[in-house]
Amino acid sequence: MSTHRLEFATTRSTEFVDITPRLQEEVRQAGLRNGRIHLQSLHTTLGLAINENEPLLLRDFQGLLEKLAPAGAGYEHDNFERRLEITAGEPVNGHAHCRQLLLSAFATLLVEDGNLVLGRWQSVFAVELDGPRHRQLAMQLEGEFAQQRDTAESLVEVELARQLMVDPEPIAGPMRRLVEAGGKRLRPRLVQLTSGIGPRNDPLRAAELAAAVELLHNATLVHDDYVDESTQRRGRPTVAAKEGAARAIAVGDYYFAKATRLIAQIGNPGVTSEVADALEAICASQIDDVALRGSYPGDRDSYMRVIRGKTASLFAAACASGALLSGANEEVVGALRRYGDLLGTAFQMADDVIDFSPSSGKPVGQDVRQRVLSLPLIYAAEDRVVGPEVRRLLAGTLGDAEVGLVTELVTSTDALPRVREEAQALVDAAVRELEAVELDGLRPVLAGIARLAVDRAS
Amino acid sequence: MSVQLLEPELDRLQELWSDGLADTYDAYLAAVDEPRLALAAALIEVGIRLQGLGGLAAPPTTLLMGDLCLARGSRLLADHAPLAVQVAFARSIELLSSRAAAQQPAPPVRQLLQDSFGGLR
Repeated sequence: MSTHRLEFATTRSTEFVDITPRLQEEVRQAGLRNGRIHLQSLHTTLGLAINENEPLLLRDFQGLLEKLAPAGAGYEHDNFERRLEITAGEPVNGHAHCRQLLLSAFATLLVEDGNLVLGRWQSVFAVELDGPRHRQLAMQLEGEFAQQRDTAESLVEVELARQLMVDPEPIAGPMRRLVEAGGKRLRPRLVQLTSGIGPRNDPLRAAELAAAVELLHNATLVHDDYVDESTQRRGRPTVAAKEGAARAIAVGDYYFAKATRLIAQIGNPGVTSEVADALEAICASQIDDVALRGSYPGDRDSYMRVIRGKTASLFAAACASGALLSGANEEVVGALRRYGDLLGTAFQMADDVIDFSPSSGKPVGQDVRQRVLSLPLIYAAEDRVVGPEVRRLLAGTLGDAEVGLVTELVTSTDALPRVREEAQALVDAAVRELEAVELDGLRPVLAGIARLAVDRAS
Repeated sequence: MSVQLLEPELDRLQELWSDGLADTYDAYLAAVDEPRLALAAALIEVGIRLQGLGGLAAPPTTLLMGDLCLARGSRLLADHAPLAVQVAFARSIELLSSRAAAQQPAPPVRQLLQDSFGGLR
């Protein structure tokens, strides 16, 4: 039995959030091969439904709910003079409770061969009836689990836990919450894979390097979240939001220093320099990123320069440092560095597209709200038809209504498919980089990682 | 070594040079007589000060400049310092940040970083 909480934020009063990809990811991460996944809404104004994810149909559902339980139809629940124990900020939401009665608060889904059993048109929805809010679903997975988790991944998790265990609690606590909240662990995976290429394959040292790279990545996120004023990361409050800016700065600095020390102590100067260069590129690009917000949404060239430093540089360093650790030759190290650079760039573009997807698990349009550089937004702002309106909205204050409008305008153009195509082309180029060098059977795995990095929903 | 030779390392940080980084660099240079390592130490000290570590948190843009100083200092150490010095510097930052997180007093930054050069002897 495995127990989790699925957390997400909704952005509208009524919203059908497609949680199918996240459930599939939970099944994969838990290693559930055959069994069941039980879901339970932990809210009285959040329901569950299984139906088709077709935008017009979702509008029909919303219309039906509004017809059956219209807002402001004189619900006794909304008569605060008669109710007992009214809390401050009590919402007027009798209609939302009544609508929830028409849906289910529970769902059980079957899992076969590691996959959710769903019909061709079926998607699983969490149905927000009184948003926007932060929501939780309780989840239990039961059945037959894979006998062993991938040993390499386990080694990194053990190493991360070991490093966090020895740190002072005021520092380790916030970082532990961030690390335990998940994340894709793509960078450590790349370190481990590439560290098996050369003649000096040492899984323990590779796990140390992989864990240090992950800590470094997380340290940059702690500072980023303060800079971007983000309140949520991986479904949990950010360090800055929960413990304040001063603590966030200290936690980021501590793991920045500790990660660089752990990497230096591995004793391979090439690896140390590779990661130090990447860290410098990340910091320099972060400054550019913030500076460019003055001319938001910016242009494609500036965007590419920023994401290559901010995101791709650590992917490239992860790939190259793993190979260096294993004693791979320069040609292989170079090819893997270029593969990582292209993969990281494509990964960031895919992230930008996901920001406009309601099934991502994050509030739609978060990048727009925080004025983070985004390629779909740049393309939409250049669009002949909607571009002037996008630019006018971005020049003003960005409240919920404006963010919603910008999101609608972006999705009405060809910006999202165009960025997806570009990301796909970068993945193809990344895979081509692998073709010229001998990788001891690793090419299909690395190609698969590259394709998955852009073909994802969250 | 002249400032001109240090220029690539000071790219983006020129304003800081005249705003205290030069004096900090001179102080470390007197102690270590190794320009790149003195600059690394000066960047780390100035970076920590810009961030407001252990005091009032810096506004985001200043924090980012502090981060860049730390990263550039760290890269200089990675490229030019022996392992013992790299480790000592990292441990100094770990000490300062853990004390800051626990809201406990920390040793003076300059003394701590100058002690980190012990591995050169």
